[in-house]
Amino acid sequence: MSKKNKSLFVDCSEAATCCTKAQYDEAGFFEKIKLMIHLAFCRTCRTFSSKNSKLTRKIEEANLKCCSEEKKREWRESINKLHREEHS
Amino acid sequence: MPSNQLDPNKWVDRYSDYLFNYTIVRVNDREVANDLISETFLAGLKSAKNFKGEASERTWLISILKRKIIDHYRRNNSKKGQAEVKINYTGEDSEGEWLEEQVADQFDRTAEDEMENNELGLAILDCLDSINEKQAAIFKRKTIDGVDTEAICNEFDITPSNLWVIIHRARTALAACMEKNWF
Repeated sequence: MSKKNKSLFVDCSEAATCCTKAQYDEAGFFEKIKLMIHLAFCRTCRTFSSKNSKLTRKIEEANLKCCSEEKKREWRESINKLHREEHS
Repeated sequence: MPSNQLDPNKWVDRYSDYLFNYTIVRVNDREVANDLISETFLAGLKSAKNFKGEASERTWLISILKRKIIDHYRRNNSKKGQAEVKINYTGEDSEGEWLEEQVADQFDRTAEDEMENNELGLAILDCLDSINEKQAAIFKRKTIDGVDTEAICNEFDITPSNLWVIIHRARTALAACMEKNWF
C-alpha cells in the first residue's frame, strides 16, 4: 500500500501525478495545493504542466470517439471464426 | 523486401478505434460506420493472400475501408430517384427571413475546423499506436471512453496509484510524439 505524503512539499514525480489527476478533475483539494506550491519553484514541472494542459485541450478539440466494447467483441468473434474456417 | 505481415487476431485491438474515427467523419452515422468497419475486416481477411507486405497493415485496411465508404455512397445515390425540394418561404409574410438564416454564425464550426480536428484525432491515435499497448489501452479507457477510475482499476486489475502512473507515462509519450506537428 502506498504511503500518503502529508507534507505540502512534494517531489517532481508526485507533482506530475497530481498534475495528471488534475487534467481529469480528479485531484483533491490538498493535492491541488501541493501542486501549486511545487509549480511555484519548479520550472521543469511548470513546463510539463503547461504541456499537459495543452494535450488535454488538443484531445478535447479532436473529439475522439471509440467504438463500443460490445461491437469490438462482436468483430473479434467474427474475425476469429472466419480465420479458423480459412485455416481448417 | 516486404516486411509487414498480417495478424488478423490483433486487428480489432490495434485498429478499430482508428478506423472508427476515420469513418465517422466521412459517413456521420455510428451504425453505418460500424457496418463499414465490419465489412472492411471481413474483406481484409478474405483478401489476406493478396497482401504483399509493402504497406503497413493499417494502411492496407484503410485502403479497403476507403473503397467500402465509396461503395456506401454509390449505393445510397443509386437509391435516390427523386430530388427532395423543400419550400420554406411560401407566404409573403415570411419573405426575407431566409436572409437572416444565411448570416454566418461565428460560433458555428466550419468545415475546415472539422477537417483539422479529424486530422488531429487521427494524429493522436497514430501516436497512441506507437506507445506501450497496455498504457494506450488504459489511456483510451480513461480519456476517450471517460470510464471511472475504479472501473478501470478493476478491469485491468491495478491500483489507482498504478493507474495514474500509467496514464502519466502515456500522456508524456503522447505529448512527445505530438510535439513536432501539433504543439
